[in-house]
Amino acid sequence: MDGMGKGTVTPLASLFPVEESQKAAKRVQDTIAEKEKELDHLRVFIADNNNLINLVQKLPEELHHDIMVPFGKAAFFPGRLIHTNEFLVLLGEGYYADRTSKQTIEVLRRRGKSLESQVNSLEAIIKDHKAEASFFIATASEAAGGLVEIREDYVEENPSKQDLKSGPLKQDVSGLAGAERETTSVDDKEFARMMARLDELEEEERAAERGNLDDENEGAISDFDEISYQRPSDNNLQNSEDIQRRMALKQTNDIATKFPKEHKYQDDMADHFGSLALQSQVRELSEGKTMAKNLKNSDASEMSTIYPEEKIVHATNTSKAEVQYQASRPSDDSQKCYQQASTSSTVGHADHTQRNSRKEDSTSSQVGCQTSEPSFDSRRAFTGSIIEHAENLPKTSGEQNSSSSLVSGSQPSKPVSRFKMQRR
Amino acid sequence: MASSAALREAQRELENKANDLSKLQKDIAKNHQVRKKYTIQLGENELVLKELDLLREGANIYKLIGPVLVKQDLAEANANVRKRIEYISAELKRLDATLQDLEEKQNSKKEAILKSQQKIQSLQAGKGKA
Repeated sequence: MDGMGKGTVTPLASLFPVEESQKAAKRVQDTIAEKEKELDHLRVFIADNNNLINLVQKLPEELHHDIMVPFGKAAFFPGRLIHTNEFLVLLGEGYYADRTSKQTIEVLRRRGKSLESQVNSLEAIIKDHKAEASFFIATASEAAGGLVEIREDYVEENPSKQDLKSGPLKQDVSGLAGAERETTSVDDKEFARMMARLDELEEEERAAERGNLDDENEGAISDFDEISYQRPSDNNLQNSEDIQRRMALKQTNDIATKFPKEHKYQDDMADHFGSLALQSQVRELSEGKTMAKNLKNSDASEMSTIYPEEKIVHATNTSKAEVQYQASRPSDDSQKCYQQASTSSTVGHADHTQRNSRKEDSTSSQVGCQTSEPSFDSRRAFTGSIIEHAENLPKTSGEQNSSSSLVSGSQPSKPVSRFKMQRR
Repeated sequence: MASSAALREAQRELENKANDLSKLQKDIAKNHQVRKKYTIQLGENELVLKELDLLREGANIYKLIGPVLVKQDLAEANANVRKRIEYISAELKRLDATLQDLEEKQNSKKEAILKSQQKIQSLQAGKGKA
């Protein structure tokens, strides 16, 4: 990695010398021992206090007690304890108060409580110190074991994506080993990584939708490569959801021209991100949430026109976010089509697998279905785009059958199924 | 010969500074101890105040002065304790300020020592070459 100039390798021992970390560990251990001594002291106090409470409780039970009275340092003489319900209680700082047995017990109980709180705080401190000590010891052993820290700037292979991610990513996102140790800048890195992951996942989802398409479309893509690279960089100031919205809007406006480009762009993404196999459910869910929010944020009027497209784009992007997505939808009562879509989409999801299998063998039926889409304006526009695309591809790609089938299925892999459901 | 004299001078300077630093550190340690004592006293006084607040009007309060218990008014005792708490809080604040001051001094001293150490090293290096 060093040779490639991508990152740096520093032995951990040079950052944290073994003896130093051992010394630090020892010091922390010493403090722990000290605190534990204090804790023992406090425990003794508590035990004493409890004994005293018991004694004070018992004393008034009798009118008088026969006791041995200490006299000086060494001597005792027999005596009798009278006035068994009168106590002179030291309040502290030289102040004494006359109290009865009951009142004394109250005072002692309060003292016991404060002692307990002290014990608790001390225990918390000891726990902290122990964590610290274990960290130091682990560091020492790691340094002694010749562990190295590898730092590498995160470089995105896809140039267009790099633009999109530029902000957070250019701060150095170091390797795992670095992050573990770099407690100071952890927040920054965490944030950068989170942003990176979010972007990544969006692309992944797109890629997943389009993953099987890559091979067949390779030839066609090459023509559009440049355009497709420019598009994302134009949009790179907006966040990814914005971009999706943009795409959705453009789709409605001039689908015939724009759509193929977008498709290519997404294909590109598939190329570059198809390899990124990780798909975390949680993230997808959260993404679904943000998208739902995004939807709600847009004006109602805008919604009614944009929504179908938006849904298409989103749906292609977020397959698993669907549950969340649907859950949030019913809250927007004003959009009838919205609701309609949501109700149908639940079924559509189930239909998805079915459709997938159908997609593979029967291509013409799909295209036919799309052309016969209902009168909903935006929806028709969308289907038009697909057809356009389907026509576009065969020109370049040899395998007409497979490509057309895949195209019909690919772009709106889920939406198509949904709309089919709606139509029924 | 001149360089060795300069070196000796620098070493003496370093020694002085080291002495100052150790003195400062001692002061800081002392300050910490006093602070700890005051914090404990403050806690105790607060406890006393709480108890005094809980006492009823006619309760007998005694103050231990030397070997004798002197009877005191509840109100008087209360006022005394309050005043004492105030005093201790002020004292703690003062100690905090001095502690900060001392720590600043300590840091500057450390830097100075570092500088003179470097100076000595460079002098020694120069001597070695010559």
